[in-house]
Amino acid sequence: MRRAGEALGSMSGQAIEVRTPMLRRCSAADVVAMAGGAEAVVAAVYVGIKGSLQGHALLLLSPTDAHRLAQILLTGLLEPGELPAEAPSDPLVFDELELSAVQEAGNVTISAFLNELGMHLRRPVQPTPPQIVIEMAGAILDGVLMDLMSTVDEVLAARTTFTEGGREIDGTLLVLPRADSLSILLDALGALGI
Amino acid sequence: MTATAAPTVLVASIGEMVFSSDPDSCLVAYGLGSCVALAAWDPSARVGGLAHFMLPSGPSNGSGPVKFIEGGLDNFLKALEARGAQPSRIILKAAGAASMLAIGGGLAIGTRNAEKMQAGLAERGLRLTAGALGGTAGRTVQLEVGDGRFIVKSLSTTTEL
Repeated sequence: MRRAGEALGSMSGQAIEVRTPMLRRCSAADVVAMAGGAEAVVAAVYVGIKGSLQGHALLLLSPTDAHRLAQILLTGLLEPGELPAEAPSDPLVFDELELSAVQEAGNVTISAFLNELGMHLRRPVQPTPPQIVIEMAGAILDGVLMDLMSTVDEVLAARTTFTEGGREIDGTLLVLPRADSLSILLDALGALGI
Repeated sequence: MTATAAPTVLVASIGEMVFSSDPDSCLVAYGLGSCVALAAWDPSARVGGLAHFMLPSGPSNGSGPVKFIEGGLDNFLKALEARGAQPSRIILKAAGAASMLAIGGGLAIGTRNAEKMQAGLAERGLRLTAGALGGTAGRTVQLEVGDGRFIVKSLSTTTEL
């Protein structure tokens, strides 16, 4: 997960601190709780995982932090007059530029993590194109949980949080493998020293 | 029990069901995406139930009572009857079955949930009197046990069914 932090850091030009991931066996309700609760509104970047490891990855940010991250990423690319307003009246409203910036940040972060996994697996792990959704966390996650839990009642979740130096952006990276990919993931995490 | 007690909120988490005959209570399911919440209310017995279904069907060993619509629908209806509700009287409303992430290549799971719910009720001679199913928005639903009002909230709208 360190590599994922570096990837985001090089994109934003800021120091990113990624904490040690926690690996937990979870019920559906546990996964929803990890995302802040079913009704908590989050900005989520979703990437499906295909290839030798199958599953789902999500980068979750509070709407306020998603606006801050977009601001950091777009500063330097745009003239001050072109930047989205720093403090929108409704934090749930994002313009296309902000959505695209946050989606790309999520994509880069998740892809860096998956690339590292793939290197240790010595098999390709392919991300699907990213998708960004601003929604209640429960609503975002239940489709993922359905895909994972049709035959089992628990999933394995790898979760880490990160902080972007000075700007106080907290994010959660959630990786949820399919049951039949679990042993592959555990081997890879062991190789990463997690 | 005091007359001024605050309304009781009972939450149906994913795969769970809740019931009440307390007129001051409400039954809630938060953050439904592709899941389906089924609300049942008997206006004579004044009893309500809310089930938060996850999937159309699957193996039932070790699962919650309403993880799957198949099998879970009977568990829910039986539990309602045990609390005095009559199938001929109950008013059924449902919400959820949205599709927001591009997961899998086939038919969206929300659509399969909605179809399974409609078919399952029809097999038992029951039907929905109102529903907010499908679309791409997440929903939180609330059943008021006192008067049977069923309120559906998304990020942008609040509607009563």
